[in-house]
Amino acid sequence: MKLNRRTFIAATGAATAGLAAPTLLKAQPTEYVIGASLPLTGPFATAGKLIAPVLTMLQEMVNASGGIAGTPIRVTSEDSGYIPQNALANYQRALATEGSNLVAYFGDSTGFMKLVAPELTGANARFMTSTSFASELADPANNPYQFLPGPSYEDQFDILLQSIKDQGGSSVAFVYSNTEFGSDPIAHGRERAEELGLNLVLEEVTKADGADIPTHVTKLAQSGAEYAILQGYVTGVWPQLIGGARQFGLPTKFMGTFWGMENFIADRVTAEAGPFLEGYQGVMPFRYFYDRENAPRYDEYAAFMSANFTGTPLENYMPTWGIQALCGLEIVVRCMRDTAEAGKELTPDNLVEALHAIDNWDMGGFFGGPISPASHKIGTGRVYQYSAAETKFSPISDWFTV
Amino acid sequence: MINGNLKSTYGADERVLNNRYKQLFVWLSAIVIAAIPLFANDYVVLVAAQIGIMLIAVVGVNVVIGYTGLLSLGHGGFVALGAYAVTLIHVWLNFLGVPAGIQPLIAIPGAMAVSAAIGFVVGLPSLRVKGVYLAVATLSANFIILFLIELDALAPWTGGRTGLTTVDPNLFGWVIDTQREVCALIGFMAFVSILLIQNLFRTRVGRAFIAIRERDYSAEILGISLFRYKLLSFAISAACCGLAGAMFAYFYARVLPEQFALLLSLQLVAALVVGGMGRTMGPVFGVLVIVLSPELLKLVFSAIAGTSAEAAQFRAPLQEIIFGLLIIGFIMFEPLGIAQIMDRLFRMLNRWPFARG
Repeated sequence: MKLNRRTFIAATGAATAGLAAPTLLKAQPTEYVIGASLPLTGPFATAGKLIAPVLTMLQEMVNASGGIAGTPIRVTSEDSGYIPQNALANYQRALATEGSNLVAYFGDSTGFMKLVAPELTGANARFMTSTSFASELADPANNPYQFLPGPSYEDQFDILLQSIKDQGGSSVAFVYSNTEFGSDPIAHGRERAEELGLNLVLEEVTKADGADIPTHVTKLAQSGAEYAILQGYVTGVWPQLIGGARQFGLPTKFMGTFWGMENFIADRVTAEAGPFLEGYQGVMPFRYFYDRENAPRYDEYAAFMSANFTGTPLENYMPTWGIQALCGLEIVVRCMRDTAEAGKELTPDNLVEALHAIDNWDMGGFFGGPISPASHKIGTGRVYQYSAAETKFSPISDWFTV
Repeated sequence: MINGNLKSTYGADERVLNNRYKQLFVWLSAIVIAAIPLFANDYVVLVAAQIGIMLIAVVGVNVVIGYTGLLSLGHGGFVALGAYAVTLIHVWLNFLGVPAGIQPLIAIPGAMAVSAAIGFVVGLPSLRVKGVYLAVATLSANFIILFLIELDALAPWTGGRTGLTTVDPNLFGWVIDTQREVCALIGFMAFVSILLIQNLFRTRVGRAFIAIRERDYSAEILGISLFRYKLLSFAISAACCGLAGAMFAYFYARVLPEQFALLLSLQLVAALVVGGMGRTMGPVFGVLVIVLSPELLKLVFSAIAGTSAEAAQFRAPLQEIIFGLLIIGFIMFEPLGIAQIMDRLFRMLNRWPFARG
């Protein structure tokens, strides 16, 4: 071939295209990976084991509906034992093994989210949600890549205190565990109670597993609180604290936040220890899974679960912990789809931009109405009350927005 | 054929690295430690830093348990003290207007001094009780330190249960703000700690510790002050843990009380027992097993069973069980630790075919 200006330009163009091909291929991965750390061993293994199959379910449903603009997703998971450093190691391992295919991550604790937040810069940054509702994490200025899949604990306290006010209550006690989880909304709750004119008559700190409960019950009795909000417990103190208070003849109404509102745990406690949870109230950001009126996404989950989880606790009921994980990851998937369909790369910055662009999205279940998570949280919730006879939580308020 | 490790002078016998194999090993280790921050990926850097931090702490635990024979289960508390102290000292130094470039030179020794001072106090029961009783007494140190850190009254300084955001050290203008850079610093500190502690046992103080371990009454009759040396042993040991804590605070962006729970104290002792008590390389082998085994098990099992969430459910407990069995196996089949196994291996290699372990 004779080399002239035209052939030289053509050859240079072909060579450039050849060299650029790997870059183009890299920009369109064969799959997108969502990593997760779950507490599959340790104190919160019960929750982790219930969430794990839910992640697989989401992966299969998203891929069955065409993936992310035609690219499938894969959800990988690793045990953290509920130790923040382990979860951080899992995250770093996922970054090392999955590289740029890893586009988002699901964390398992407030501790991990705080530990990883300052590391989320440059090539190490990923879009992230978690099991935590810690108020500090909903901070777009300082934690640009993290969001809460619901209201913060402070928001949940606002809802409960407003509900107490609406129910005509005048005095309240805060009983919380000596964990970060327990103390997260207390200072804010103190201020809010004062604003609403509620008399905060007792603040009682206990161990997370509720040791020395009789002492706490006695203090509660002396305080004369009409309402007591429990914060920082998964469910461990129900039998001792609420059961103990009922034996003591206390009329105090007990309330809880998200992690103290799981229906199947309430049913189990009722079956084993009696109906003392009757009238227990609490704030729940999400609709319970049995509340499926006009909730098409819940119906799709139900169909998948009855077909694939036969003989397991997930066959007919999705625990609220699973709903929380699904909610976070549905938002992640929505951001991934919006970004991919706009022809952009799935970088954390683009995904955050997509998060900010979500406005009045009806998720087909989950919340009482459409959501707009631009503030990196979804400040909505509703007060439910447990009925031991019906063995379920039923709403006693309308949806609050905070 | 090499039939012994022969020396012709007392000076050669007293050297820390008293034969060519040790020298070669130390130089190779130094090269590996230097190479990791330069060439490894972020995950390897993270694991290497975890190893380095734990190694510094276990070297300290070795002083009190391995060399002085005083059982302590509270050393995780000293790591916590070091982590919180270094962060708070930086805050105070900033307040006093001390130039950032020299702050680590004050903050790191300061954190070690705080831990050493508290270690001195925690060591007091060792003057009256021994063995399992001392273990219980020191265990309480861990709880008391964490209780104080979480105490609401001290929360303005310690951050309470929400923890503290740590600072990036600045050494003469070099801001060490990436995990890779801190890993290099940790590697250097771990290397120096091992050599310094090894050197300690060539001195009068180190020999006094060993004499106490062998028989404290006899040591006292020989003129060794139990009061002085037992407390000194605790202080040196706690200072090492304080250094580990300082490195921990530099490496992680946040210190939280839950990172220093009882599990950490137990891991430090387990690493020492598995590696070999009272041996220089014991902490090194022990920490490698304690930190690397779970990571390797995760990699192997995820390669076999996949990384899906459902597979992880089955892998997780299995990994824990195998890790537990590994620890039991090491203790059952070689109570003197991996250092002893390695001794036999090197003896066999050195003198093969005349020695087979």
